[in-house]
Amino acid sequence: MDRSQEITKQEEKNIEKTKKLYEVPPAVDIYENEEEILVYADMPGVVKDDISVDIDNGTLSISGVRKLSVNGSITYEEFSNVEYVRNFSVPQTIDVEKVEAELKNGVLQLHLPKSEAAKPRQIEIKTA
Amino acid sequence: MFTRISDIDRLFETMNLLQKRLDNLYGDYEKSSGYRWGFEQNTPRTNLYENGDNFEIRAEVPGLEKDDLNVKIQGNYLEISGQRKSDTPESYKTHKTERSSGSFSRSFTLSEDVDSTRVDATLKDGVLYLTLPKNEAVKPKKISIS
Repeated sequence: MDRSQEITKQEEKNIEKTKKLYEVPPAVDIYENEEEILVYADMPGVVKDDISVDIDNGTLSISGVRKLSVNGSITYEEFSNVEYVRNFSVPQTIDVEKVEAELKNGVLQLHLPKSEAAKPRQIEIKTA
Repeated sequence: MFTRISDIDRLFETMNLLQKRLDNLYGDYEKSSGYRWGFEQNTPRTNLYENGDNFEIRAEVPGLEKDDLNVKIQGNYLEISGQRKSDTPESYKTHKTERSSGSFSRSFTLSEDVDSTRVDATLKDGVLYLTLPKNEAVKPKKISIS
């Protein structure tokens, strides 16, 4: 019995353990204008219920689990079930209450609006 | 030895495969590095499964609509091409662009002919699912002896 079989056997013995998913950072695009910060994250194969978006103490964390079932034998596999995880620091000026998230065609879209106080303001000069 | 860039890329693919095998082997002890050898490319990653009468192909195509994708089949030759539109919004400052955009094309030669009239293609959550029934002519047939 070679080493790989030995390890497989050990794995089988250990029933309680579930195979951990690999954590992968999703590819993101980040844009900003005066109103908001816009984040796009590629998470193909992840459904809405398996995504979580949290903002806590200035950290935005997104995570999504891809659960695709395999039927048939694998001829080759370039992607498998993963957990997409990524954390960002967000400025305190983000209005956490108004953050919106949308999932479309495997792309997570996050709108992080800036709070009123943080928006640039034009100051009118009065003539004396 | 290497006449085309794709030859070198194929070598990288082999390295990726080896790395994946090793990752699976030691999966309990260490996390996958997640690193992929090869050139930065925007061709979608693809899985190929085979079950009895069908081939099943899955490709990662996040952000694509069904009109952006083209699937062409001829005998055992399959080509998936498409265009990913850049969704950069107007009048925004860009901080990061990691997601690829532009057109891609990927072709496959399957081990058996496909019945192109019964192919089923579904696009769901950014993944393209193709179910390709094998051609009747190549399926094993039982011959009754008279």
